[in-house]
Amino acid sequence: MAAITQAERGGSQQVSGRRRRRPHLRSHAQNIGHPGIIWALPATIYFAIFALLPLVVVVWLSFTEWGGIGSPHWVGGANWKALATDSIMRQSIWLMLLLTALSVVTQTLVALPLGVWAAGFQRNRAVLTALYFIPLLMSSAAIAIVWRALLDPNFGIPSQMHWLFGSGNLFGHAGDAIGVLTFVAMWQWTPLYTLIYQGGARAIPAQIYEAASIDGAGRVRQFFTITLPQLRNTIVTSLILMVIGGMTAFESILILTQGEPGYSTTTTAYYMYSKAFLRFQYGQGSVIAVVLVVVATAIGLLITKWTGYDKMASAQEGI
Amino acid sequence: MVLLRKWMARGLVALSVAGVAAGVSACGGSSGSSASSNHGQFIVADYGDANDSLEQYAIKTYNATPEGHKVKAVLEAWPGANYQLKLQTVMSTSKAPDVFYNWGSGSIEQFVEAGLVRPLNSSFSSNPALKSNFLSATMNAAKIGNSYYGIPMRGAQPVFLYYNKSLLAKYHMAPPATWQQLLSDVSTLKNAGLIPIALGGGDQWPSQMWLEYVYDRVAGPSLVSKALTGDTNVWSSAASKEALGDVKQLIQSGAFGNSYDSVKFTDSASTKLMVTGKAAFELMGSWEYSTVQGINPSFAKNDLGYVSFPSIPGGAGNSADLVGNAQNYYSVLKSTKYSQAITDFMKVMYSDGFQQQLLSKGWLPTTTNATQFFSKSPTPAYMSWQYGKVKAAPAFQESWDQAWPVTDYTPIHTAVGTFFDNTNEQQFISSMSQLSTK
Repeated sequence: MAAITQAERGGSQQVSGRRRRRPHLRSHAQNIGHPGIIWALPATIYFAIFALLPLVVVVWLSFTEWGGIGSPHWVGGANWKALATDSIMRQSIWLMLLLTALSVVTQTLVALPLGVWAAGFQRNRAVLTALYFIPLLMSSAAIAIVWRALLDPNFGIPSQMHWLFGSGNLFGHAGDAIGVLTFVAMWQWTPLYTLIYQGGARAIPAQIYEAASIDGAGRVRQFFTITLPQLRNTIVTSLILMVIGGMTAFESILILTQGEPGYSTTTTAYYMYSKAFLRFQYGQGSVIAVVLVVVATAIGLLITKWTGYDKMASAQEGI
Repeated sequence: MVLLRKWMARGLVALSVAGVAAGVSACGGSSGSSASSNHGQFIVADYGDANDSLEQYAIKTYNATPEGHKVKAVLEAWPGANYQLKLQTVMSTSKAPDVFYNWGSGSIEQFVEAGLVRPLNSSFSSNPALKSNFLSATMNAAKIGNSYYGIPMRGAQPVFLYYNKSLLAKYHMAPPATWQQLLSDVSTLKNAGLIPIALGGGDQWPSQMWLEYVYDRVAGPSLVSKALTGDTNVWSSAASKEALGDVKQLIQSGAFGNSYDSVKFTDSASTKLMVTGKAAFELMGSWEYSTVQGINPSFAKNDLGYVSFPSIPGGAGNSADLVGNAQNYYSVLKSTKYSQAITDFMKVMYSDGFQQQLLSKGWLPTTTNATQFFSKSPTPAYMSWQYGKVKAAPAFQESWDQAWPVTDYTPIHTAVGTFFDNTNEQQFISSMSQLSTK
């Protein structure tokens, strides 16, 4: 609506002799409000070729047996039946949810205060924040390799800190291995979320804080009654990113633990890789892929619904 | 009208472009199919690692011969970690390599079953030297049914027990000849606060070597060959349980320390333990020598000791039996157009020059005349010692993860890793009983 009124205003300012062009201008203005489908075409084609098409093929493969040689042959629901009774599969889903929950909790607890702190304009904060973003520049694989070396029981940090690490057999116990994965993910991803929270915190108008301090609210009170509610949409955004990141986490598991000890760090994504690309059971791997798509989509939809993210309500109504 | 003409013009341009492209590709096709002209070439797929300079040498040597001028060999080195995956993916496509690196037996079985690999028997009848120049045990490891499918390349890699000489001298120990001696060495070293045996448990296949040897010594080589041919009951036999009990005893005695699950051989961490004197022994393939050389060349020269795996008195196995990687092989694609040229290429693998290249890298040629080149190798003593062991071995057990089909690679590793974690015999027996059989 706003766009149209503006265009009309523009039109009325035209010299009267060129008035006949107004209808054309108006129809053009209407298009601004609703861009044609053509604008979405490149993205749609890209998505269709690289996401939808493989998805369809994966669904088809999930009903076949194929080892990469020759052509896949149809086995009906056999792969699905096998997976339904597969205890490793069930465990992998729980593990994926556990790792996701741990990432969300640890990363939010660190990134939120850090982001709010980094939002201040003091110079020392700017310098420290810049340093703190370094992990963001490194690839996941590089980070995993570095931590694998740093956590070596005989030549790494654990060999110097027995009081904390004991025998240092971090990759030999399920709990420790999950702890390592959570810690490395936190080290790697906290800078990104700090950046997001910093942006969110800087967007909060200073007047609100001024008004609150006149009313006598301290810094803690201000944080909980102004900063947190104002960051609602930022928190939801980062939550969705964390959940999706947690469920698709793969490289760090591949390099740090290979799903071990036993199957204790075999998440659904890693189990899919292991079935398809280590055991060459592409059919069973595809079943896991389909399950992963369904579970991840369902969780994504639930989050958007529960948090009201889809309504895109402003946190600053009435200001 | 103008518009229509414009479209037609564009259409014509597009058509002619397509035509040119088709022509070009047709030319490519025709030059490829006329092997007699000097443009033919065949692809050799290789395991890309630090040793592929060997294969580069073989290719260069062949291409310099008159045959190589007619049909050229082209090397494609695929990154090692993904080699089997890539091979599996391209073997049944038109992109399949004419010649491909493999581990013999289990690693090519499914390709042979799918009719993708060329039996070499006919090449042998026209070129007997291609077979007679290699040790027959080596040729047999790539034999499926009555047909031979591989020509040995690289070298044999038996597994031995390596040790830190000065550490053993310090505690007045001789390298163990029997299992009992090993156990007593372990307890001496453990009481001294050391890790008796370095183990890259994080990779699992180093742990597998312990099981392979103890199974061989206790139950003899027949147990595994029975399991491979379908008798899965052997895993729950008394001999199998006894072997597991021995390994369990070793693990529980603290032989491997308490953090071996987090140690890997692939990043040299386990070998470093032995080289730096934090551990005394490591059971490893013959490539251990070059690994140690990479960490500390003077240690390799002065302090690195090596012995055969200890005997287990009362067991069914011969203490001269070996386990390890029998060989790597080149196999030929059935549909290749260049089988004659490839036969000529294969002749390089037993040439004097290639054997000297192998030895300079610390690999053991499995040719019948290998001994004459040992004096030129940088480690003549180590080479002739190894060669003697390989030649005298009544049985050479191929590594389990390579003897079974590739689909069992991960299940075997998981079974082994889990056993070293929880020493649960029943769980190991049931995992091994579920592997594929022939």
